[in-house]
Amino acid sequence: MKESEDSSNLTFNQGELLARVDNDRELLRDLLTIFKQEFPGYLQAMREAVDSRDGKLVAVAAHTLKGMLSNIAAGRAADAVGCLEQMARSGEVSRFQEAFTAFERDATRLLPHLDACVAEVHR
Amino acid sequence: MRILIADDEIMSRKLLQKTLERAGYEVTAVENGRLAAERLCPADGPRLALLDWVMPELDGPGVCREVRGRKEQSYVYMVLLTSKESKEDVVAGLESGADDYLTKPFDPEELKARLRTGLRILSLEDRLVEAREEMRFQATHDGLTALWNRAVIMDLLGRELARSRREHVSTSIIMCDLDHFKSVNDTYGHLAGDDILKETAKRLLSSVRSYDLVGRYGGEEFLVVLNNCNPAYALARAEQICKTIAHKPAQTSSGTVPITMSLGLLISQEWDCLPLEELLQHADEALYAAKAAGRNCVKIASPKISSADSESQARVPARLRR
Repeated sequence: MKESEDSSNLTFNQGELLARVDNDRELLRDLLTIFKQEFPGYLQAMREAVDSRDGKLVAVAAHTLKGMLSNIAAGRAADAVGCLEQMARSGEVSRFQEAFTAFERDATRLLPHLDACVAEVHR
Repeated sequence: MRILIADDEIMSRKLLQKTLERAGYEVTAVENGRLAAERLCPADGPRLALLDWVMPELDGPGVCREVRGRKEQSYVYMVLLTSKESKEDVVAGLESGADDYLTKPFDPEELKARLRTGLRILSLEDRLVEAREEMRFQATHDGLTALWNRAVIMDLLGRELARSRREHVSTSIIMCDLDHFKSVNDTYGHLAGDDILKETAKRLLSSVRSYDLVGRYGGEEFLVVLNNCNPAYALARAEQICKTIAHKPAQTSSGTVPITMSLGLLISQEWDCLPLEELLQHADEALYAAKAAGRNCVKIASPKISSADSESQARVPARLRR
């Protein structure tokens, strides 16, 4: 149980996010709503950048996503996209696809946690 | 305190804005570095700024460089927000002119504490500027009357004469001296004498245009410089000064004291390009002529009449000639 909770916190640490917004639940809800609206577009831009194998584009897209994910305390996905940013900066083009797949997996796991959090805040 | 936030990422902007508004800041948020520089560079822009490092148009260090490139304006305390953590990045950020940096995602308490550091720096700058302005005022003004001091009024007069020669217009010099001031001091005391000097300064300032110059020349002597005026206006102004000084007694700590003033007027265009000291000497002679004529009056310094001068001399009433 402890392990699962730790793992869940790595994916999305609601306590950390609440502290960051100073326990302002309305702000928390607003941030998550913005994230859910904006994220698909950024993810698509990331996918296209990876497909183009353009290191500069990948670095920019990854940097933005890392900031967004860090802001909502989504540590695991932020770390994954941070790795992709590093690879882009060091020109490891051949590893883009593999790293993006790992990131996409973490991001997919994150979304249900965010939905649950929004639902809880609404209650 | 106003603060500018620049971040292209909407969630960061919202989070920062809310956190800082809750802490009492008046927040302006923009989404790129170019807009940030445009807001920060004017003299009345915010003096605190949180700048994301990576932004479109202009990055955070670029904003810092533009803001630091301004001259003679208030200090802007700038904090870079960055997820860049390498030593080289930090050095580059600080070298661009940033005062501090904060790693994203930021901790709200750390953010507020670092901004309080900024506020302390800005407050220190305000106090230094205030002290500098105070010293500048003291160095250029007479301590008792707050008029220009002798060195400054002489310097300003020199500049004004040079300008009037370039532009072929006239500058008028009025040398003024309070009548019987020594006996006022002897009779009513030096504190009353000081009150009279202060009151005289007020009356002189109220008698001239805002862009004319009034200075304390020494003791009970004052120098008035009228810019760009014709002889008739200069004479009318000098006579008005004389009336304004004498029209009612001055209130002093020892009661009311009647005051009058004698004035020597010199109109620069009526003289060749004489050195400043010589012009003042002639104005002083006119002042002494006013004293000799019974005080409380104006006398005009006239060059030796030549055919070229005779016309302008004719415009001045004979009673005022030295």
